[in-house]
Amino acid sequence: MARDRSDNIFVFPRWTWVLRPGFAAAVAGGLLYAGLIVWLGFSPKTTDVGYAPEQPVPYSHALHVGQLGIDCRYCHNTVEQAAHAAVPPTQTCMNCHATVRKESEKLIPVRASYASGLPVGWIRVHDLPDYVYFDHSAHVRRGIGCVSCHGRIDSMDVVYQFAPLSMGWCLDCHRNPERHLRPVEFVFQLDWVPEEDQLVLGRRLREAGGINPPVDCNTCHR
Amino acid sequence: MPSLINETGPMYWRSLDELARTPEFAEAVRREFPNDEWDRLPAATRRQFLQVMGASLAFAGLTACRWPKEEIVPFAHRPEDRVPGVPQHFATSIELGGVALGALVTSYDGRPIKAEGNPEHPDSLGALSAVAQASVLGLYDPDRSRQVILRAGGQEYAKSWDEFEADLAGQVTGSGDGLAVLSEASSSPSLGRLRDRLLAARPAASWYEYEAVSFDGERDGLRTAFGRPLHVLPHLDRAHVVACFDADPLFEHPAAVRLSRGFAASRDPHRPDGMSRLYVVEAGYSLTGGRADHRLAVPASQVVGLLAALAAAVMERLGMPVPAGLGDAGGGPSPESFLAKLADDLLAHRGAGAVLVGPRQDPLAHALAAVLNAVLDNAGSVVSYHELADPDRPSHLAAIGELSARIAAGSVKTLVILGGNPAYDAPADLRFAELLGRVPNAVHLGLYDDETSRACRWHLPQAHPLESWGDGRAWDGTLTLQQPLIEPLYGGRSPIELAAALLDPVPVRGWEIVRDTVRAVAPAADFELHWRRCLHDGLVAGTAAPAAAPQLDLEAVSQLALAQEPPPAPSANALELVLAPDSKVYDGRFANNGWLQELPDAVTKITWGNALLLSPTTARELGVAQEDVVAVSAGGASVEVPVDVLPGLARFTALLSLGYGRTAAGGVGNDIGTDAYPLRTTAAPWVIPRATVRPLGRRQKLACTQDHHAIDTIGFGERNRRVANLVREASLDAYLEDPEIFRHMDHHPPLEQLWKEGTYEGEQWGMAIDLNACTGCNACVVACHAENNIPLVGREQVIRQREMQWLRIDRYFRTPQGVAPDEVEDAAMVFQPVACVHCENAPCEQVCPVAATQHTADGLNAMVYNRCVGTRYCSNNCPYKVRRFNFFNYRKRMADIAKMQLNPEVTVRSRGVMEKCTYCVQRIEKVRIAAGNDRRPIRDGEISPACAQTCPTRAITFGNLNDPSSEVSRLRGDHRSYATLEELNIRPRTRYLARLSNPAAAAHVDAGGGDHGKETA
Amino acid sequence: MSATTVDTRALLDNTTDDPRRRAPLVLNHTEFGFVTDTVCGVVERTTPRSWYIAFAAALLMTGVMFAMITYLITTGIGVWGIQVPVGWGFAIVNFVFWVGIGHAGTLISAILFLLRQKWRTSINRFAEGMTIFAVVCAGIFPGIHVGRMWVAYWLFPVPNQMQMWPNFRSPLLWDVFAVGTYATVSLLFWYMGMIPDLATLRDRATTRLRWFVYGVLSLGWRSSNRHWHRFEMAYLLLAALATPLVLSVHSVVSFDFAVSIIPGWHTTIFPPYFVAGAIFSGFAMVVTLVIPTRHFFRLQEIITLRHLENMSKIMLATGMMVGLAYSTEFFIAWYSGNAYESFTFLNRAFGPYAWAYWIMVTCNVVVPQIFWSKRMRTNLVVMWIASILINVGMWFERFVIVVSSLSRDYLPTSWGYYRPTIIDVLTFAGSFGLFFTLFLLFVRFLPIIGMAEVKGVMPAALHGEPGHGDYHGDVVERVGRRGGAR
Repeated sequence: MARDRSDNIFVFPRWTWVLRPGFAAAVAGGLLYAGLIVWLGFSPKTTDVGYAPEQPVPYSHALHVGQLGIDCRYCHNTVEQAAHAAVPPTQTCMNCHATVRKESEKLIPVRASYASGLPVGWIRVHDLPDYVYFDHSAHVRRGIGCVSCHGRIDSMDVVYQFAPLSMGWCLDCHRNPERHLRPVEFVFQLDWVPEEDQLVLGRRLREAGGINPPVDCNTCHR
Repeated sequence: MPSLINETGPMYWRSLDELARTPEFAEAVRREFPNDEWDRLPAATRRQFLQVMGASLAFAGLTACRWPKEEIVPFAHRPEDRVPGVPQHFATSIELGGVALGALVTSYDGRPIKAEGNPEHPDSLGALSAVAQASVLGLYDPDRSRQVILRAGGQEYAKSWDEFEADLAGQVTGSGDGLAVLSEASSSPSLGRLRDRLLAARPAASWYEYEAVSFDGERDGLRTAFGRPLHVLPHLDRAHVVACFDADPLFEHPAAVRLSRGFAASRDPHRPDGMSRLYVVEAGYSLTGGRADHRLAVPASQVVGLLAALAAAVMERLGMPVPAGLGDAGGGPSPESFLAKLADDLLAHRGAGAVLVGPRQDPLAHALAAVLNAVLDNAGSVVSYHELADPDRPSHLAAIGELSARIAAGSVKTLVILGGNPAYDAPADLRFAELLGRVPNAVHLGLYDDETSRACRWHLPQAHPLESWGDGRAWDGTLTLQQPLIEPLYGGRSPIELAAALLDPVPVRGWEIVRDTVRAVAPAADFELHWRRCLHDGLVAGTAAPAAAPQLDLEAVSQLALAQEPPPAPSANALELVLAPDSKVYDGRFANNGWLQELPDAVTKITWGNALLLSPTTARELGVAQEDVVAVSAGGASVEVPVDVLPGLARFTALLSLGYGRTAAGGVGNDIGTDAYPLRTTAAPWVIPRATVRPLGRRQKLACTQDHHAIDTIGFGERNRRVANLVREASLDAYLEDPEIFRHMDHHPPLEQLWKEGTYEGEQWGMAIDLNACTGCNACVVACHAENNIPLVGREQVIRQREMQWLRIDRYFRTPQGVAPDEVEDAAMVFQPVACVHCENAPCEQVCPVAATQHTADGLNAMVYNRCVGTRYCSNNCPYKVRRFNFFNYRKRMADIAKMQLNPEVTVRSRGVMEKCTYCVQRIEKVRIAAGNDRRPIRDGEISPACAQTCPTRAITFGNLNDPSSEVSRLRGDHRSYATLEELNIRPRTRYLARLSNPAAAAHVDAGGGDHGKETA
Repeated sequence: MSATTVDTRALLDNTTDDPRRRAPLVLNHTEFGFVTDTVCGVVERTTPRSWYIAFAAALLMTGVMFAMITYLITTGIGVWGIQVPVGWGFAIVNFVFWVGIGHAGTLISAILFLLRQKWRTSINRFAEGMTIFAVVCAGIFPGIHVGRMWVAYWLFPVPNQMQMWPNFRSPLLWDVFAVGTYATVSLLFWYMGMIPDLATLRDRATTRLRWFVYGVLSLGWRSSNRHWHRFEMAYLLLAALATPLVLSVHSVVSFDFAVSIIPGWHTTIFPPYFVAGAIFSGFAMVVTLVIPTRHFFRLQEIITLRHLENMSKIMLATGMMVGLAYSTEFFIAWYSGNAYESFTFLNRAFGPYAWAYWIMVTCNVVVPQIFWSKRMRTNLVVMWIASILINVGMWFERFVIVVSSLSRDYLPTSWGYYRPTIIDVLTFAGSFGLFFTLFLLFVRFLPIIGMAEVKGVMPAALHGEPGHGDYHGDVVERVGRRGGAR
């Protein structure tokens, strides 16, 4: 038992002590790195923003809204009355395209749908979980601009997801709406910028409209 | 209206323009008879599959890969007024037993998802019965027949309508010799019109009408008394004394919804001319019996005797000559005390009383009631009589008897059966199922390929009422329209369309038929406008049958009475067996409706089946106990059924409900419960004398949502002690004496608030439930089921105490202290609807570790399904036990077609989460957003939860407690207002209004235990 | 007392109290070598076949448990007997049961240590091990009893995009922390106490593998004065740290019930009542395990009859505390005048679950009474059977508290009767499998008796006999410093 311990690798020589801080630092750093990867890498900010699926028809908002200046409500005409900003029926497209670009093969699916009565299958970009009940009318009628959640659609050739649409992101705005409130007449004007400081304006509008967004669970979950 | 089959998919709770289209779904719709057994647990393999899904869901969060790609499928041409995701409402009607009940059906993106009452309709007044509401589920029943079937040579062939018509054209020719039509009870003028045309065009043809549950007793009785059959319409709101002899105007009556409203009005203690008093004589508890101030339990056969004795007594007191045969017609027991009291009361309130008799009773009883109402001047004031559309048709029993005779004689070549299920529910002695086999060309139009279809040559899929045009008459005769909300899912046709097909080969659309009828019945200058108006209202205004002033023929009544020989009094070895239509599956037609199967019977609280009801003492004397299986024999036939021991039944009287034991109902209804029809004969259709009960030494569990296990003495005593405080009741006199009487009933020290008081701004939602109005009819339970996507769990799960209804109606029997469980002879029955009461200091909120249930600014106790991890701590800590848990994914085996019923506004819960009443938060949010959009306050009564909306007696009131002028605030200020378990200081937001009884001066009801219904035969 | 007198008397019964001298804690031997050889022998001798058999059986049961858990997770907790009103069944009962078992270890190691109870030395390692294994078994149940296991991590305060935190008002959350802390500290305590012995095993290692494994585990222990000094310090601190935990854990566990409003749960007596019960069951389990072990590995001279007798006395004491708690509950139910409360207890004793209640009373209150008699206290068979009965009784105590209270609360319409399913039963049985698997591995590969500590209380250590080398010199000084033996 009382044997010479020089051969015993489990009895560390003194000089190894200098390695201890390094070792500790390495371990701590590793953990921190792993944490950051999970925290940032898996957050909706990273994963969902920028999602831009290819649509059956290469419809360009940049062209129709940005250049031709068509109002959002020309197509999404239920946005002020209903929860859903309904995607327009094929009919709406054909209002113009019956005459404009009537031969374009990009429009074949649209014409086909118009003829057959079967819908065009658009790919959903802004997809909330099914247990979330979002109401467009409640937001636009109170002065939240389209741009706040959808970004500058009028400059998008292919629509992509602009905001994380995560619960935390919703809550940020529900807690301080003044950052996004604007006069209702400018809700659909994507390039509108306030003359004064947004916060000042926002507070005033909030005051005037008595806008206090609820943050109760059942505001969105039913 | 486009057929939705191809456009609907799994994302059924989203709006149509967002539905993902899946070919599997379209496939599933066409799939033949998808297997869907509610009453069995999912097979393990299915569960594994589920788990894979569960796990993949779980990891979706971690790996952060996007959820499956979703497609948006907008209309190609959107209809003018259609806003995707915004529901529309259409007025239509649901006919039951030949009486049409007006309904307002919610259609969500073209899918009818919920039926509510039509406020315009005289029989509905905005409310709807449980059964009528459940018809929506029937529409999406995956077991509905999907095609024309030809049965020949023991083979089944799938045929088309054209092939059938071709075949029919060959069979039905010339004078229509050998052609017979058997229709189920119907008040449809269109069908009547077609019938007359058919009989005119084909004079040799014959038309019969049969339905197991009918009101022919009343027809014949009044025919005797008045010379012609009439409808009796009581106006209970005007009544002061109501005497029900085996009658159940509050539930069993076709116009029960309307009558309940009237009854509730008459029970208002603040009614200027005082509260009405209710006497009930019956064999076993009916819902009306539950509200009786004086109740007498006698065998059904003895009722007529008592009625005769009463009539004799009354006429004597009026100094009128008593017709022969009345005085001694009874022979049965006649407890003077009860009858004397009743006679006094009726005489004291001449012209303000009503004597009602139920459909079970034979004509004499109805005639006697007519006599009483006449001599007491009630006729014309409280009871009005209305002419019938078809006064001359023979009674249903006579009709089916004649038809059977003709079939037996071989003179029927082609028999067309419009709906109904005679092979199952015709009187046993006719052996109708066998007879059908002898008809060379029997055709059955039915929603299901049921017992009758299987005995016929042709089966034709019937269009569901929500899929087809039609019409009918309300109890008071109002012409009620029925319009489709969706294309027939399986290409079915309606009875009127088939009837039309018998006339001319070219198919006529129901729409035209109904239009013609309306044009004929109510001609108008501008018909288009009139027609649109009628469609909008769901009825043709001013078509109610005028009240008649018939002449009483005492002589005829006395003759009938003399002809009657007194029935034998039942004894231990010769019981009286009383049959009744089931409170849920009715005559068996709703056997495949999961909502109704899982709905607890109002009185027994039994789901998924029926049982033989015996009173405790009778059971003891027969030596049978709860859940013993017994053989019930009468007239040579015998059936096996488990026993349910229940107070309030007459001695030596057994109650058994019809409609169960179906063999071809579908995946849900097959082999559930016991079929009682074999005991039912033409001679004794309802009250069967000399029945015997023999224990078989087996036991069978009853899927009961209350008293889940036989109650022991300790529990029994404690329950009785607690009832008085949970369901508070006092006599009207006691209440008027001391309005604070109900406040005196809470015994607890002053309640100290541990936390600092919350601030109450804006809307603060609350509810008041008036136990004095509640009749326990279950309409609210089904409404909640339909509105909130509550899953069905099946028989086995109910037995394991895992029922899911958010709203339950607690039923208590209040027995006198110190009576042992097996000695209870008579007990007062009281009801108390219980759902989440949204406590201010909610115990559930404290204990949830993940904050999945929280208090909202407007005072709701919100349950967040997507946050819940399922510790079930909240349920444990809930003193009302109103929280429900998804022990499995009860949706797993839900047929895709059935998913079309789900309400898109409510999250569909999956396995492992808790759920409970939300005060219909989706309705609250909808109104809140709409009001906010228009910058206006929410009006009182603008929001009404599903339960309150459909309550026939308006017993449930919902509103803003912060608004002192709101109805709910007013009610909570009422002297009768109290909270259950207030002593826990949990501050429930749902409070109750105490129940009042109004016994005649002699008997008094103290708060402790109801004295009423003490007297017993 | 001199070593020679001890040597001459080859005795195994050291329970006779002789006022003239303190009874020896290690019998018939005075030299440290004996202890080292005996304890290390357990690990070093070739594995007996009987061990393999026992291990196989335990492993099988463990397999059963994991099979059941897999079935549970794939299917839904509906496979259990739970329902409404009884939302908690076997899972929570087992959890509380196992946590309770896990109390003896830390109690013996920490509290008896601080109280200078020298007799603890020969059983503390053993008890600590048992504690760890019990806590492992306990830890399984809260994890699997939730409806959606895959989001159970929401119980931990992890930052997330939902900006949601757990509800810190919920006792279940307190549980998470209480049990977590307890498990960590117990594990540390157990392992740290083992280091010197692991070093001994390392130094005695004959095979390269053993030498390496024990080497790694002993963290380069050199048993220098400095090492011993640090060791003693840490041990003392950990003991001080662990002591409050013994009381806190089961108090917090009892809050799961005490904080709720269910009659039969909502009681202020629960914390002390649960702790007493836990110690009770803990010691019972130690006895259940120790009796066969000491017999099998011939440790009678180190784990002496006196040790067992002492434990019997503790069981008698705690058993009576539990009995007192039972009667107090009844008294308060009556005295408080709370109708619901009084019904609950009437219902316990005479309602549908009376059978469970009377099993509990018999096993926990009646059975321990036999320990008044010394003959019983020193009769191994009796003691062993009694200890098992007590374990049964303590399980039923939790069953009665959890199930019978829930089955009949406020509204009579929602009363119910809970029946466990076969899955419930097999899962519970399986948890024993896991427990014994771990335990068998422990007795096979780790020093089941704290050699260094036992040596520290031997006469030789107290008188500092020469010729044992500096190693044991350390021990002598150490014990001297600690002043444990005067």
